[in-house]
Amino acid sequence: MRSRFDDDGSGPNIAEVVAEVSDALRGNVRRFGPLLFAVLAVAVVVTGVYSVGPGEQGVVRRFGREHRTAAPGLHYAIPLVEAVNVVNIEEVRRVEVGFNGETTINEEALMLTGDENIVEVQMVVQYRVADPTRYLFRLRDPERTLHVASEVALRSVVGRTNIDDVMTTGRQQVQAATRELLQALMDDYEGGLEITEVKLDAVDAPDEVKDAFNAVTRAREDKEKLVNEARGYQEDKVPRARGEAQSIVRGAEAYKEQRVLRAQGDADKFEAMLAEYQKAKNVTRQRLYIETMERVLGPIKTKMIIDQGVGGETVPLLPLRAAAAAGAAQAAPVAAREASR
Amino acid sequence: MIRTLLIALLGLVILGFSSVFVIDESEQAIVTQFGQYKWSATEPGLHFKTPFVQDVHRMERRVIGRDTTPGDYLTLDKKKLVADPVARWRIVDPLLFFKTVQDEVRAARRLDDIVKSEMRSEISSHEFGDIIGNGRSPLMAAVTTRVRDKAREYGIYVVDVRIKRADLPRDVQESVFQRMRAERDREAKRYRSEGAEEAAKIRAKTDKDVTILLAKAYQEAEKLKGEGDGDSTRIYAAAYGKDAEFYTFARTLEAYEKSISPETELVLSTSSELFRYMARPAEAK
Repeated sequence: MRSRFDDDGSGPNIAEVVAEVSDALRGNVRRFGPLLFAVLAVAVVVTGVYSVGPGEQGVVRRFGREHRTAAPGLHYAIPLVEAVNVVNIEEVRRVEVGFNGETTINEEALMLTGDENIVEVQMVVQYRVADPTRYLFRLRDPERTLHVASEVALRSVVGRTNIDDVMTTGRQQVQAATRELLQALMDDYEGGLEITEVKLDAVDAPDEVKDAFNAVTRAREDKEKLVNEARGYQEDKVPRARGEAQSIVRGAEAYKEQRVLRAQGDADKFEAMLAEYQKAKNVTRQRLYIETMERVLGPIKTKMIIDQGVGGETVPLLPLRAAAAAGAAQAAPVAAREASR
Repeated sequence: MIRTLLIALLGLVILGFSSVFVIDESEQAIVTQFGQYKWSATEPGLHFKTPFVQDVHRMERRVIGRDTTPGDYLTLDKKKLVADPVARWRIVDPLLFFKTVQDEVRAARRLDDIVKSEMRSEISSHEFGDIIGNGRSPLMAAVTTRVRDKAREYGIYVVDVRIKRADLPRDVQESVFQRMRAERDREAKRYRSEGAEEAAKIRAKTDKDVTILLAKAYQEAEKLKGEGDGDSTRIYAAAYGKDAEFYTFARTLEAYEKSISPETELVLSTSSELFRYMARPAEAK
């Protein structure tokens, strides 16, 4: 073949080339035809082998009609006649409503509550394929349908709940009711999906009113603070007052006890003296008098004893002023001299 | 000879393929002959037809979703509502479907019209709050029933019609936000005043408790003191009553002792009892 190109350099003769190629082909088909056919046949047969992984289920259609299901393992389907879909029936999948990854989708997230407020809700729905046949052949685009149905369910549940309940105590109920409604809808549509969980990710006030809601939170904290301060006041005052009351009462008890004991002491002393007195009234009386006077008069610095007779004739002039001055200046001797005269 | 055989085989294959068709689980079909309806293939599987002269028109057998565009509706209480209805439907009568609407695009358009008109009439007989809240399910059930009836003539069975979104128009939203803000402000004020109320209650109760506590202590203390005074008085009276004259004497002496200090200046007379012997030592009493 190559030689002919070299010979005259006038280019290949088309007719000749065609004749030669068809000659070669005919020869080759006769020689390799059966082999080629066998290889092709094996290849076709091999394409019928398929495997179903753990947690998966295979659905085999023969001429388009569902024929059998296949458990995990290696299986065979007749090529060209049978078609296989393998569906994971254990994997839990998720749908996000109201947001997409990090960004909020306002159109989806904002919704009306029962008391005609607007709230922003983000929800995650988890589901798995429970019935592969339905999932594959009964509902067109089950994922998209689930997303729409999630919105329907969420909005109709939030629509009959008050905003405060949605945001706080009613969350669990909203989740449960949404799940129930969503499952009912998907069953109606024969999607073959089982809703395993509905979770409210974030329930918030819309941006436009967020400040007002935060102010409420702050007010609630202020309330707590005020009440706590008052409790602190109470806890400070009452125990102190109890202590003070105790001290007043104890003081009074002490006073009472003291009064009684002293009275008894005085009484005992008197009775003891009385007993002695009664034995010798006159002498005791004199003795008591004299002893007392001795004790009383003994330490007195300024004493004046005036004779009875003098007292009768002269007017006793008391140098009171001088005595007072002397007393003040500690010049007692003058008075003492006079007194001793 | 081989060539003839091959051609015959090829012809047979072509004949076979044009007389056999497969209907999948997800579809159904009608068979027409020169444009004339012959029969419906509603079950999946292998089907036969007359080759060359009969045509197969396939259509969906699964449930199909239709998201009607959002529209403005007027409620009974003359409020504007933006509702976004969605419908699920499937083809139940392929022939009727093929004859009336032919394909899904046209079917969807017809369905939209029906849904919108039924929504309009149903929403206009309900109040806004009802549609948002508890009245939604019965309302949608009523719309579904009526849409289903009307769609039947297109060979369509409507599974349900639902409101995906029911919102207020943009301009009304701002007034809702204003109302929400006002409500929250009110709530915040209520919390603050409740806090003040409760705090005042606690403080007042504290002050009251303290006052009562101290008054009770005072009462008890005074009682105790009185008892002390009473008891001591009784004890004194009992003791001193035994000899009142001696008591006076002894107590007077004691009083002298206590009241006369060393700084006292005394003028005494020799006629006094104590100094009587100073003047008259011999005198006997």
